[in-house]
Amino acid sequence: MTGQTIVLADTPFPPTVEDFYPPSIAPWGEQSYWFTKITLLVWLSVAILIIYFLVSYRKPQLVPTKKQWLAESIYGFVRNNIAVDMIGREGVRFAPYLASLFCFIFVMNLWGIIPFFQISPNSHIAFPIVLALISWVLFIYLGFKKHGAGYLKFALVPPAPWFILPILVPIEFFSNFIVRPFSLAVRLFANMFAGHMLLLVFTLGGFAMINSNVLLAPISILSWAMTIALTFLDFAVIALQAYVFTVLTASYIQGSLAEGH
Amino acid sequence: MAGQKPPSDPRKDDAPPPPQDAGAGWLAISYLIGGMLVWGGIGWLVDHWIGTKGIAMGIGAVIGGAAGVYLIVRRLGA
Repeated sequence: MTGQTIVLADTPFPPTVEDFYPPSIAPWGEQSYWFTKITLLVWLSVAILIIYFLVSYRKPQLVPTKKQWLAESIYGFVRNNIAVDMIGREGVRFAPYLASLFCFIFVMNLWGIIPFFQISPNSHIAFPIVLALISWVLFIYLGFKKHGAGYLKFALVPPAPWFILPILVPIEFFSNFIVRPFSLAVRLFANMFAGHMLLLVFTLGGFAMINSNVLLAPISILSWAMTIALTFLDFAVIALQAYVFTVLTASYIQGSLAEGH
Repeated sequence: MAGQKPPSDPRKDDAPPPPQDAGAGWLAISYLIGGMLVWGGIGWLVDHWIGTKGIAMGIGAVIGGAAGVYLIVRRLGA
């Protein structure tokens, strides 16, 4: 008990951004950020998804097994409720990309609440930025493929009298080509960052209170109970953010493929 | 159990095209904020250039906000 208390006594509070940079876990070389828990979790996410879907679909059955049912449900959900609902008939060919995106973001986010890992790689903005850039390049590419060079006119020139156009075109450019990837990346990053920070504050805050005064112990316990409740809240945020990212990507694809205004 | 039919989940391959206003809410927000940011930002540059203290930025933000509303009406309105 005493040993534990000594360890708890140097619990730092409040949590800082430094807490998002776990130390190197590579057994070789000097300390660097090249191989940390974050790196490991990204590789684990990729491996889990590839292996899970390969195994579930290896021997597909007409009456699916439980594994196959789950994999088919996930894919079917993204295909029918996101791809086809948002994009229409053409959306079927984007279902594989959208489903991969959804699963990858969901698993990456989920690390934030899995015991012993408890940090999401998506709480580092680099990962959401790359995901957003992929979607950004995709919808611009599709727009140019569908409309040719006319895509610029299609995306930038709204139906309006010519004398207002100089005011409107910069807004269209800003809103379509700058705000879209930026908001995709920041929305995902900020939710994951805030979720992790919130859990840290309540956990470490409990230790900080119980260390400063034993009479505060009931409040510490309340704080830890809140941590558990917030973990469930975080699960809702995790699923929602994976869904929102996918839906918005589908919506941008739909915008690029649309016939006219 | 032998005659049991699988759940009839439609494959939706022949679904009608979706409504054009999917994602309209995000679009409206990005027009409103984008309008004020773009023209407010241009106004800020003008302020720096001619040495005024924010009047151009204010005018720009108002014009940008108005243009954003106009864009929402044209793109999303009837």
